Amino acid sequence: MALKTAQETARVLTTRATSPAALPDMEGWVRFARCAEEIGIESVLLSFSYYEPDTIFIACAVGRETTKVKFIVAYRAGLMQPTTFVHQINTLSGLIGGRVALNIVAGSSAEEQRGYGDFLEHDERYARAEDYLEICHSFWRSNGEVDFQGKYCRVEKGKLYTPFLAPDRTAPEIYVSGHSEQAQRLALDNASCWLRLIDTPENLAPIVKPFRDQNVEVALRLCIICRPTLDEAKQAARSMLPDEDIGREERGILSSSDSQTLHQALSAADNVGWLNRNLWAGLVPHYGSSAMTLLGSPAELAGIFLDYKRIGVTQFIIAGWPKLDEMLIFGREVLPLVRELEARAAS
Amino acid sequence: MLPKAGEVVINARQSAQQAARYRILSASGETTAPQPQMEGWQHFVRRAEEVGVDSVLISFSRYEPEPLLVACALGRVAKKLKFIVAYRSGLILPTTFVQQVNTLSALIEGRVSLNIVAGSSAQEQRGYGDFLAHDERYARAEEFLAVCHAFWRAEGDVNFAGNYYRVEKGRLHTPFVSADRTAPEIYISGHSEQSERLACSQGSCWLRAIDTPEKLQPAVARMRSYGIQVCLRLCLLCRPSREEAVEAAAALLPSNKKESTISLKDDSQMHQEAKTLGSNGYWLSDTVWTGLVPHYGPVWTTLLGSPKDLAEAFLAYKQIGVGEFIISGWPEMDTLDVFGRQILPLVREAERHN
Repeated sequence: MALKTAQETARVLTTRATSPAALPDMEGWVRFARCAEEIGIESVLLSFSYYEPDTIFIACAVGRETTKVKFIVAYRAGLMQPTTFVHQINTLSGLIGGRVALNIVAGSSAEEQRGYGDFLEHDERYARAEDYLEICHSFWRSNGEVDFQGKYCRVEKGKLYTPFLAPDRTAPEIYVSGHSEQAQRLALDNASCWLRLIDTPENLAPIVKPFRDQNVEVALRLCIICRPTLDEAKQAARSMLPDEDIGREERGILSSSDSQTLHQALSAADNVGWLNRNLWAGLVPHYGSSAMTLLGSPAELAGIFLDYKRIGVTQFIIAGWPKLDEMLIFGREVLPLVRELEARAAS
Repeated sequence: MLPKAGEVVINARQSAQQAARYRILSASGETTAPQPQMEGWQHFVRRAEEVGVDSVLISFSRYEPEPLLVACALGRVAKKLKFIVAYRSGLILPTTFVQQVNTLSALIEGRVSLNIVAGSSAQEQRGYGDFLAHDERYARAEEFLAVCHAFWRAEGDVNFAGNYYRVEKGRLHTPFVSADRTAPEIYISGHSEQSERLACSQGSCWLRAIDTPEKLQPAVARMRSYGIQVCLRLCLLCRPSREEAVEAAAALLPSNKKESTISLKDDSQMHQEAKTLGSNGYWLSDTVWTGLVPHYGPVWTTLLGSPKDLAEAFLAYKQIGVGEFIISGWPEMDTLDVFGRQILPLVREAERHN
């Protein structure tokens, strides 16, 4: 699940300086995270942007007040030295019982990156992320001192005494997201899981396979709208379409990005709208690329999740509107059906 | 000063020697000091609040957990105490740093200040990917803080083009959140001329190791004339009488004279000065003793004596314009108690009389 309770319905409103999303909402977040724990959600994703609080610190604060749920912390390579980053993540792991995973993003729009002091272009950002993660992994292997001389990062006799502390791991799980060739390369080289937008099982099957062949998991990002019937879900989806001017503004922001993920998602929205009976791209132009939406009844959705499992997808990062309500529906109505189908398939 | 992780002993006595020993070993990777230890820290934080301490310093080094996150975890449970977080420039981009510090401020009601250090030993800095030499690190820290202040002034997009940092249309929506400030207090530490300059141009307080009031007076007056506060770091050793304090101090010298927490390669001026100490004797005055400095570092210049001696000493520093003290001791817990219960009341009483 994606944790973001102070968010407005339309993302473009969230990006405004007056949005409550700029301030931590501990009460709402802790309620959300505890709720996620109760209904059996394993992890929540914390998204990174200049208009939200820093994800590592949110994971620390919310993690101290929860016991089971893991935090997938989105961070961009290049915003701090890799040694510093490992120092922070290892400290965080020691403070919250190792319940931290990372979603490493090479960068966002060139414009936003320049506000952070990063002037590399898209392809170079991926090359840097390779350097970056290699250094991180060297620290996590912790065979003495770390020496690295790359094009973008250089470390000499690096040593950190605070280890990554978790009951079952010596390094965090690394999710790498992105649709570009470079993102896929980075995931295969330096990650434990490739994270991408949902598509139809048919389209995804050949793309998922090479990752599974190399022991890299695949996670899909999606939104769900679950209602008693598909028609009701569709009706709820249509009511999510925002005012026209907000749509236009969001479109402007999205088009300025150099992310390939986003361009693919936008063109899906423009060209087809419905990718199959249950998968709709209609909200992408208004809510961003992760708004690729799966709609249906609980039984339909449970069956669909198993279709993805069959082609090798093992994780899903799910969002909805409002997130808490949709998570409760998922946890109470969809998840038990999924577990039931799994048990039936196993016997 | 926040004790190292695992240093606080709860429900048992810890001798000054044991605490000092732990400190030396903590820089060798032979203790649990690198792993966050919330129980001991929370115990310390509660006591600090009880005795009326305003802030605690959390130090930065590769031997310890990262201090911003420690401040986050501790600040969520503390109620009044402020955290002075030591950080080095060159480890993180200034925009990211401000985003983290602002987020932290919002999570702990603004109870965060920063102690910005230009760098440590060249060797330790290279392990963080920083290859600048001492003087250049100050020039970079200057730019680092200039960018940070631009974000904290919040006058629209931040644009900056310097030798070390470049930011274009920088924007962060999470502000520094505090009841009475729009930016954190900035402590700049160091003994070099560059550190004094940096404190004046970008800091709110200059932090240095204690010396005698006579020696400090000119520099303190200079800083105060620029509107900059002065804070002294010291180790406090209080016993019922001065003789007992001197005896206790001597007992703190490590049995192995070569043993030291000081990196020999540290190129800061504070450390260079510390290494040359001893040639002129270790007593700077009746109360200021530098005998521990060659073993533990410059911030372990010790102020020692009876409660009355020490209360008078603190007032002498106050008279020359020193407004804050960062106090360490062995064990840190006992030092808090002695300071809060025996010295502070005498200081307050004398202040009332004047």
